[in-house]
Amino acid sequence: MRKWRTAVMVIGLMLLISSPVFAEEGAAGAADGSMSKGLIGLGAGLAIGLAAFGGGLGQGRAAGSSLEGIARNPGAADKMFVPYILGLAFIESLVLYAFVIAFLLRTKM
Amino acid sequence: MEHGFTWFSLLPFIADDPERQLIFTTIFIAAVLFIISAKVFNSIKKSPNPLIPQKKLSFQNFFELVIQATVNIMKDIIGHHAGKYLPLIGSLFIFILFCNLLGLIPGFLPPTSNLYTNGACAIIVFLYYNYQGFKEHGIKYLKHFAGPLIYLAPLMFVIEIISHLFRPFSLMVRLYGNISGDHAVLAIFSGLVPLVVPVIFLVLGLMVALIQAFVFATLSTVYIGLAVSHEH
Repeated sequence: MRKWRTAVMVIGLMLLISSPVFAEEGAAGAADGSMSKGLIGLGAGLAIGLAAFGGGLGQGRAAGSSLEGIARNPGAADKMFVPYILGLAFIESLVLYAFVIAFLLRTKM
Repeated sequence: MEHGFTWFSLLPFIADDPERQLIFTTIFIAAVLFIISAKVFNSIKKSPNPLIPQKKLSFQNFFELVIQATVNIMKDIIGHHAGKYLPLIGSLFIFILFCNLLGLIPGFLPPTSNLYTNGACAIIVFLYYNYQGFKEHGIKYLKHFAGPLIYLAPLMFVIEIISHLFRPFSLMVRLYGNISGDHAVLAIFSGLVPLVVPVIFLVLGLMVALIQAFVFATLSTVYIGLAVSHEH
């Protein structure tokens, strides 16, 4: 009996929390549609998250080795600036493709 | 993206159409730049010795600084005849810089947070560097697409065409993503904490605006340099 009551309470709580989500769907949101919307949201979040992860690692390597280069030879700092910024821009553009895809996915929700 | 209040929404004709507002903002920036540069041009023309810089900080000093820096970087990339390509690259740099900086003023949308504004700039760069390549090399410019070996040419041609077509696309998306992302971060944080905290993101936005305008100009220079370079 007690288990039963806990289960009902949990389900009720979940419904209470998820009600804003369902409310936003409007009239068209069937049970099937809500699932695909959730998946789209998950995909958008994963896309930008993974891209930021990889881009962060790449940019970290680039920044680290260029700082090392400047520490060894401070005179080269001016010459390194343009290639460094360009390298960062190329790494970053891959992240931004993911950002744009996440953004496009968001408009599909 | 949804935007709150903007100053241009007070104007009658463009009030409820965000696209029209962006177009108007672009025209506004172009007009401001035109007026400033006309003023600077006049002041250089009137001064008895234009080589002596003005004493106080003025638009003339600003333009001299920006143009000198742009020419130096272009000479590093292309070579000594880089000044030929300054009109396009310099104008693009200053225009994009002002567009980006406008986004930092509350109540203004940066025009570069829209794909079409950036797309126009990127397509102009694409057409321009191909035109310059043809002008420099004639029909031999097509050799750039053919790769090192003649029997690989059909394969290389396809790959090169795709990679060249991808250049304006990546220019466009890079600027759009950076500026709209930066603007979104600024909007979210000034929504969360209206005081003091957004200052950090304004400083970050200043850096992003400068660096993205710089990256756009530098990449355009690199593309032009690749198109007009002679293999030694």
